[in-house]
Amino acid sequence: MNSVATLHHVTKRFGVHPVLDGVDLELPAGTITVLLGANGAGKSTLLRLLLGLERADAGELRVAGLDPFHAAGEVRRRIGYVPDQPDVYDWMSPKELYGFLAPQYPRWSRELEERLVARLGVPRTTRFAALSRGEAAKAMLVAALAPQPDLYLFDEAFGGLDPLVRDEVLGALLEEAELAHRAALVVTHELDVAARLADRVAVLNEGRIAVCADLDELTGGAESGALPRRLKELLGDVVLEGSAVA
Amino acid sequence: MAELDWTVDPHADAAPSKQLVLRALDALASGELAAGAQLPSVRQLAARALVNHNTAARAYRDLEQLGVVRGQNGLGVFATEDAPRLARELRRRSTLDAFRGAAKDALRAGHPLNGLVTELSNLASKTASPRKTA
Repeated sequence: MNSVATLHHVTKRFGVHPVLDGVDLELPAGTITVLLGANGAGKSTLLRLLLGLERADAGELRVAGLDPFHAAGEVRRRIGYVPDQPDVYDWMSPKELYGFLAPQYPRWSRELEERLVARLGVPRTTRFAALSRGEAAKAMLVAALAPQPDLYLFDEAFGGLDPLVRDEVLGALLEEAELAHRAALVVTHELDVAARLADRVAVLNEGRIAVCADLDELTGGAESGALPRRLKELLGDVVLEGSAVA
Repeated sequence: MAELDWTVDPHADAAPSKQLVLRALDALASGELAAGAQLPSVRQLAARALVNHNTAARAYRDLEQLGVVRGQNGLGVFATEDAPRLARELRRRSTLDAFRGAAKDALRAGHPLNGLVTELSNLASKTASPRKTA
């Protein structure tokens, strides 16, 4: 299967302390990979490397065949990213944000943008500073889907949302994300979200990928019920410290 | 057509795609979904059930194997002409199996046969029309 992104023996240190210590991970086209791991396991660092915001100390990273650090601009145009907190100027409105982003993304779809804004009820002209957590998450989802990127990255994007809003956001993601030739990496600590979204589950523990497998493989070769509980049993309390089985 | 509730509970014992299959069979058996009716696309189903695309696609593959839906390229997914009859048969078969299992357990637990027969006739008089099973 084609991989949209690969990490091969990737190491990243802050000072002498390795945050990522020889990480191998592939994100194959057509799949959603859910990345689990305790706080401080290196999940955010891994995303920052994929986004080209940090440079790996060793190993090789590729996004759509490109080195994210050296071709940062090109790689950013191929990634749709939803951070845990909006990383935009809070004086901007969603409308202004999309107007600013659209020209930078060759495949930005105005039609998709408008459909999602209507579906999710994003207040187009309200400044981000005045948006609720849910409205801001919806606005950021539009900004990640409308570019029709090769790789979707979601960093704790569904945490702290009202359950109804969370379901709206997940529904829009599932219906409008085009995964046929693309991949998604979802960082979450919510096992309920992991159970719903994952084709594959990767667990980052102490800077290494401790587990990476198809969800069905992980649960014994067949699709499983009671998945959040089974994941918790299989992956252990240490690795999933703080993980919520809602 | 009223929209079906495709909600999936990942905490339930049945696997998510199995929950979707049972939901569709139930809707076909009860007439909520008629022969020839159009079902959601894979992506729409995934979005309504809040499950991943491959789970939704697997449910449709299983339903196709049971002969109750068929995908028409580019047009969508439709209930077959035989679907309501097949779904009712499947439901009768699975509920009969479940009934036999429960009856066997009850007999083994020491319930007298005539006591169970009375229970059953009481249930039959209360259940005028068969409604969806939980």
